[in-house]
Amino acid sequence: MPGYYDINDILMEEEPIAVVFQVGANGVGLLDPGAETNSVEKGAKVDLPFWLAHELYLRQAVSISIPACFGQKTRKEIQADAACVDLRIRCPYFYELGCKIVPLVSDKSIGPFVRYAFTSRYKEILSKSHSAPVATVPKFLPRLTKEETQLFEAARSSMAAFKKWRVGGSRLEKAPILGRKRKTTFPIRPSTP
Amino acid sequence: MYGRRASQLLKELGSCEAGQLTPFDSDSFDQVTKECNKHNLQLQSLIRKIEDQNLDIQTTRNEDHFGAVIHHLSLTRNKRCLMAYMYNRAEVIQSFRWKVGPVLPQEIQEKLNYSEEEYFKSHSAAIESYMSELDLDLTVDMVPPKDPYIRVRVLDDIGEVCLGDHSISLTKHSLHFLRRTDAEQFISQGLMEEFLE
Repeated sequence: MPGYYDINDILMEEEPIAVVFQVGANGVGLLDPGAETNSVEKGAKVDLPFWLAHELYLRQAVSISIPACFGQKTRKEIQADAACVDLRIRCPYFYELGCKIVPLVSDKSIGPFVRYAFTSRYKEILSKSHSAPVATVPKFLPRLTKEETQLFEAARSSMAAFKKWRVGGSRLEKAPILGRKRKTTFPIRPSTP
Repeated sequence: MYGRRASQLLKELGSCEAGQLTPFDSDSFDQVTKECNKHNLQLQSLIRKIEDQNLDIQTTRNEDHFGAVIHHLSLTRNKRCLMAYMYNRAEVIQSFRWKVGPVLPQEIQEKLNYSEEEYFKSHSAAIESYMSELDLDLTVDMVPPKDPYIRVRVLDDIGEVCLGDHSISLTKHSLHFLRRTDAEQFISQGLMEEFLE
């Protein structure tokens, strides 16, 4: 369960969801670009961020339509070759959004679909993260979603830590916050007299 | 869109590397706070409108009610974003005490806002009082060293420094044989590196 302060969870909830208002709402004309007054009419089709769409759905104020990234086109592409699909451009939080949207829509095939997409992409991410050279950014990285990128980085850094442990070497290092450049001009510390 | 600016604030924070810090974005922060106030005012006026019509505030589900709900949700969303922004920065700031030491270099200090500087000072003071109570330096390397002494190369002119019972002149590129605990703080500040054959 993500925490209240979880940045990724908050950013995930910003993903736009297409909804249809089942009620009218006053004083929120900003939500509907086509509104002539400062209110949203019943039946208006609007894109809302997930956090708002979710809460309004629970109050039966809107109906949610399935986001395009879980539509037929993406499904066909995933079935053809899961690893080659650029999921980030479709939705950077594909899996998290998938998990959260399943209880809200009637289409129950989204769950198995998201699972299938993950299992077929996972193997490739893991093997590439262990073998890819550390210094370069692999070509396929921009295709990964945020969750997959985190997996990739985790696997890569654990591999790097393992190699470092095996070779040995200095345990003491400069604090990473101070920047990678060696020759930064630090303000000279007041030298002890 | 409601809450857009607050999420941009977090995006900025999320895009920098783990353990790093971006300058405190007080412009956006203040704007989001203002947004919160606006939502609050509109929420109040919609509630008042319902009350003026002599409707029961608990059960009414008219257009004013849903307008008020949306403003309320936006308000709590903005609050969550602002809280997460402060909380995640505070975590990073705490880690500075362990990685960099009690005095922050200017370049990091500039990224903090006033209350964060105070937070760092208080956190640092709390750790120091705890360590002096234990009579143990907790910030040194957790793995027991094989040798209490270490060979180091100085990377920057540090000057005359008092270590233990004698003073030593640390000039650039000079090599020294120091007590490990003395050298550790200079290494983490980037002023020295361990000299390996």
